[in-house]
Amino acid sequence: MDIAAILKWIEATGLATSIRNSLYVFPMLESVHVIAFALVLGTIAVIDLRLLGIASTERPFKRVASDILKWTWIAFTLTAITGGLMFTTNASVYYHNFYFRSKMVLLLLAGLNMLAFELTAGRTVHQWDLARTAPTSGRVVAVLSLVIWIGTIFAGRFIGFTTSRATVKDEAPVDVKFDDLFQSAPAGGGKIPAAPSPNK
Amino acid sequence: MKQFAEWLSTTFPSVFIQNHNSWAIPVIQSIHIVGIAIVLGSVFLIDVRILGWSGRDQTLRQTTNRFGPWLTGSLWMLLLTGVLMVIGEPVRELVTFSFWLKMFLVAVGALIAIIFLRAVRKHEQRWEDGILQRGTVKSLAVITFLLWASIIILGRLIAYDHIWGSWSPAAVK
Repeated sequence: MDIAAILKWIEATGLATSIRNSLYVFPMLESVHVIAFALVLGTIAVIDLRLLGIASTERPFKRVASDILKWTWIAFTLTAITGGLMFTTNASVYYHNFYFRSKMVLLLLAGLNMLAFELTAGRTVHQWDLARTAPTSGRVVAVLSLVIWIGTIFAGRFIGFTTSRATVKDEAPVDVKFDDLFQSAPAGGGKIPAAPSPNK
Repeated sequence: MKQFAEWLSTTFPSVFIQNHNSWAIPVIQSIHIVGIAIVLGSVFLIDVRILGWSGRDQTLRQTTNRFGPWLTGSLWMLLLTGVLMVIGEPVRELVTFSFWLKMFLVAVGALIAIIFLRAVRKHEQRWEDGILQRGTVKSLAVITFLLWASIIILGRLIAYDHIWGSWSPAAVK
């Protein structure tokens, strides 16, 4: 079974089909993906800034790490699940997309960077736990971590601009019966597309 | 508003962004998301401290001193990148229900943050001694997190404003 067939099979699963066919699920997956990813970057940055001696310097490194990394992992899991679900809807397009591939490479690099930390500064934590900054290896890892995770955001955002969404079933939006609320809204036709270009 | 948006889209800064939209818009959006990460991360870590789930070796004041400036600083960065996005795509942003509901919630969220940070600064001891333990304060911690999460959802929904049906001004025929 070659990769193209696997990708087609993923797209054809009931799960992928039902996400595609819903007007709401994909935008909600995107939103949760952003929320969870924001927490990944927001929490990991606290650790990186602690390693660099920029913030939280009065707290021992190990305490900051054990206090915060659990949230990073929970958020990362949620990011991976929502990302995976979005991938299923249009697997072969994402698979061939340059920015999607870049993002996966960046995730791999983030993992290797964590491994590098464990093998270097992580081994001697007891020596610098209370110090203001981590040893050089720890600070290098911290800078790389910030660059990689911020790079992941850029790659992720560019995916939305370089892929087209798989077509959604032409489901009419619910007609909310509060039209009078928007009586003052600009009337008359315009250049506004009824269906905005998705993903962007 | 639509007339204003259409006028704005003819101004020089808007035309400039439109002419470079293949990279300018995603780059501005990415910087905006970095700002979102700092705001949401800061709100979250202050909220879990209030709930007693994390950071218990720190007083509330120490926690707000650590994250408060990042929270407010990033809000300015979000305002700047947000304004650039509106200038770059005025009709797409301004003629939506999601955008205006988002702006209202941002105003509420920012106001709560400013009042809270000021209150903790002014009455540090009273917060440590009792206010922090109140159920209402704990619920407020949960509510503020949900508020910022809703703001992020609405930000994403600007691209999907048609899901609001007739609430979306773009749907008015």
